[in-house]
Amino acid sequence: MCHQTVSLAARHLEANGISTVIMGCAKDIVEHCGVPRFLFSDFPLGNSAGRPFDVESQAQTLALALRVLETAPGARTTVQSPIRWSEGASWKCDYLDLAKLSPEKIAERRKEFDEVKTVARAKREAS
Amino acid sequence: MTTTAPGEKAAFAAEYDAPIPYMQRTRDYYQVLGFNPYRWAHFVEVPFTPLRTPLSRARLALITTAAPFQPGVGDQGPGAAYNAAAKFYQVYSVSTESVPDLRISHVGYDRLHTTAADINTYLPLARMKETVAAGRIGALARRLHGVPTNRSHRVTIETDTPELRRRCREDGVDAAVLVPS
Repeated sequence: MCHQTVSLAARHLEANGISTVIMGCAKDIVEHCGVPRFLFSDFPLGNSAGRPFDVESQAQTLALALRVLETAPGARTTVQSPIRWSEGASWKCDYLDLAKLSPEKIAERRKEFDEVKTVARAKREAS
Repeated sequence: MTTTAPGEKAAFAAEYDAPIPYMQRTRDYYQVLGFNPYRWAHFVEVPFTPLRTPLSRARLALITTAAPFQPGVGDQGPGAAYNAAAKFYQVYSVSTESVPDLRISHVGYDRLHTTAADINTYLPLARMKETVAAGRIGALARRLHGVPTNRSHRVTIETDTPELRRRCREDGVDAAVLVPS
């Protein structure tokens, strides 16, 4: 949801004369929405600005995003960072892996989801 | 163009070593849980404003989906479970002069492979300040802005993004760096 929100925000700012660049990890969501400029890091969600406790990777990620901001020739410019999250890529198989969900686990997740929705609704209505 | 002859072993990457199809996985997941599929925002036309000021003279905004720490609403620290009580529903702004205490326990980041223990992975404020000091960016706006991650496109489009634009205008920025959590 975060990637969709910033994509909508980038579109709105850009349509009103403010240039933008998104730094993010969910390529399909950002490109499906359609944004002017996007620096894609193929990292787990939560690491849009670089790897944890790796200042060099964070500095390189920002430097690349700024290059995209300056040099994109037109809308829908995506550049993928060459930095790898880890040597292997098996982490990509784990996200919402349905094969690992038993019927009990599914029932549990559904209950959790309903609880979360109730909390979020109460918070939204109070704000 | 080079091709690999039959029988030769090509040094291709593993099939799964590609960007994760989040929309498809989310759709499949919620279907299994018994919920209706979510309609993701999708446009054909995309606006584009070239950067008119050289970066070394430009003032930049930083925009985040991270949430200000809220005492009393449960664990928001590194590795915390999804915490809906830590959500926020209005655009906020905080000074960029110090390091704000912003967390991401309110969103669905990859809790299996990351813990959000380093704020610099989702908020490049320190790196941006270094870049200003190095002369690569003209200036950073005096405040950064947080935008709520609302499931409702309508609220984001009609309420939150115009408010964000108004604040960016007040700050006199030339460009914005947007960083989802």
